[in-house]
Amino acid sequence: MFLTLKKYLSLYKAMFKASFISDLEYRANFFTRIMTDIFWYIAQIVTFEVLYTHTQKIGDWNLKQMRVFLGLLFIIDALYMIIIHENLENMSEKVRKGDLDLLLAKPVNSQFMVTLQKANTAIIGNLILGLSWLIYSLNGLGDFNYLRLFWLMLLIPCSLVVIYSMRFIFSASAVIFTRSENLQFLWWQVYRIGMRPDSMYFPWFKWIILTIIPVGVIVSIPARALLNPPDYLILLWPLCLVPILLYATHRFWNFALKFYSSASS
Amino acid sequence: MKKSFAVFWKRNLAFAKLAIVSNLEYRLNYFVDVIVQPVLTTGIEILLWFAVFKGANVQTINGFGREYYLSYALWAAFFARIATSWMYEFRMIEEISSGTINSLIVRPMSFYEYYLSQLLGYKFITTIISLIIPLIAAHYFNLPTIYSRVPLAVVLCFYYLILVHTISFLVCCVAFHLTKISSFTVAKNLLFWILMGELFPLDLTPEPYKSILLKLPFAGGVFLPVGYITNRIGLNEMITGFISVTISLVVLNALASVLWKKSLATYAGTGA
Repeated sequence: MFLTLKKYLSLYKAMFKASFISDLEYRANFFTRIMTDIFWYIAQIVTFEVLYTHTQKIGDWNLKQMRVFLGLLFIIDALYMIIIHENLENMSEKVRKGDLDLLLAKPVNSQFMVTLQKANTAIIGNLILGLSWLIYSLNGLGDFNYLRLFWLMLLIPCSLVVIYSMRFIFSASAVIFTRSENLQFLWWQVYRIGMRPDSMYFPWFKWIILTIIPVGVIVSIPARALLNPPDYLILLWPLCLVPILLYATHRFWNFALKFYSSASS
Repeated sequence: MKKSFAVFWKRNLAFAKLAIVSNLEYRLNYFVDVIVQPVLTTGIEILLWFAVFKGANVQTINGFGREYYLSYALWAAFFARIATSWMYEFRMIEEISSGTINSLIVRPMSFYEYYLSQLLGYKFITTIISLIIPLIAAHYFNLPTIYSRVPLAVVLCFYYLILVHTISFLVCCVAFHLTKISSFTVAKNLLFWILMGELFPLDLTPEPYKSILLKLPFAGGVFLPVGYITNRIGLNEMITGFISVTISLVVLNALASVLWKKSLATYAGTGA
């Protein structure tokens, strides 16, 4: 078990290094990727800054609390973009061009390969920006208890697993449908639900996004851990969700592979 | 002259039909694109406006009641689908970076018109299918909508689409010099996302940003057509929108023409 873990860790380290070298090769694209996310951050910030000029509260939170929520969103999204996004984004193309064959033939877990083969190292700059925004917004709160940040060590990895699992199911559907670019765009719409605080939704919808389609877990629960008095039942929920979702992705991947008929041959 | 226009028209109609047929080929993909995605966006935005009005505890925001914002959210999602070009811009860039553009530039047509006709054909069928949803929803939920204004709003949106394509063409000119530039498309479209007014009605922004945003041509993509349909703006603002898009088209087409010629002159024909 330990040896297997060590093997996969060293493999990931090698793939990360190769990705960094590859990303630096196309420097214009490297910097545009950073710019892209800056525009996205601006879009999120501007939306709420404009809306808060017309209201005091959205859901349970005021503008200062919403800024913290956005800071967490930027950090979690940046981590997801660095580690996972590019691999799952290109799954449809890999299926169509038959590149998936090469990954399936390797003597390692195929789900590991399709998930982590390529890291998007340009986004590390965005992670720094997200962290800066979070620190700025936490300072704006005034009486913030910084010990609460320890919750993030537990909750951010859970959030990443939740995004990964949901995105993976959307991406792996490409193996079944062959052409499913718009299903990937559909993921973006689902993800957008989680980009807003769960407290602004109706109670029944909030329940759905915390359980059945758990996009509400991604940012809202870590934000609650920072902004509200701890509710252990809610804060521990992501920990229960993680093994369930990882198992679901594993089963779905095996199911989807049954439909795969090597496009390159 | 008359004959050459007929040839031009026939040729471009064929491109448009090609786009329609090829997009309808994968029906699930298409259905998700034109129906599911905007419906979900509308749902998310409507929930936001419910929360905003609940938090503000007021009857109107900026002089408009909640129904006006719900109507805006409904129409904006569908107009934004029409006014944005992702797929064709990616394809145009791919043609250049892979070198498959060679087979297009030797034909008796321009790269610009080949993709413009396809884009318009694709958006035409998208408009016909997808606008049924907001029309039915606005009628069923009795949301503020002036139905007689829909045709002019669609015309402005399609006019703006030509500008969008010209900007895509400009991005393509850069693709001759920089191999991987797909991120340009994403960055550009995210910027337009804010400037078009898909996220919130542009008239909610404080001055002087409001005046600037309304004068930019990007408002012609979502805010002006949707604002016109939902009675947020009048005909004068629509005319300003048409003028703004026209000026941008003239300037950007001139720039694109120069850049394209320069880029082709440096192109070796083996992919960028």
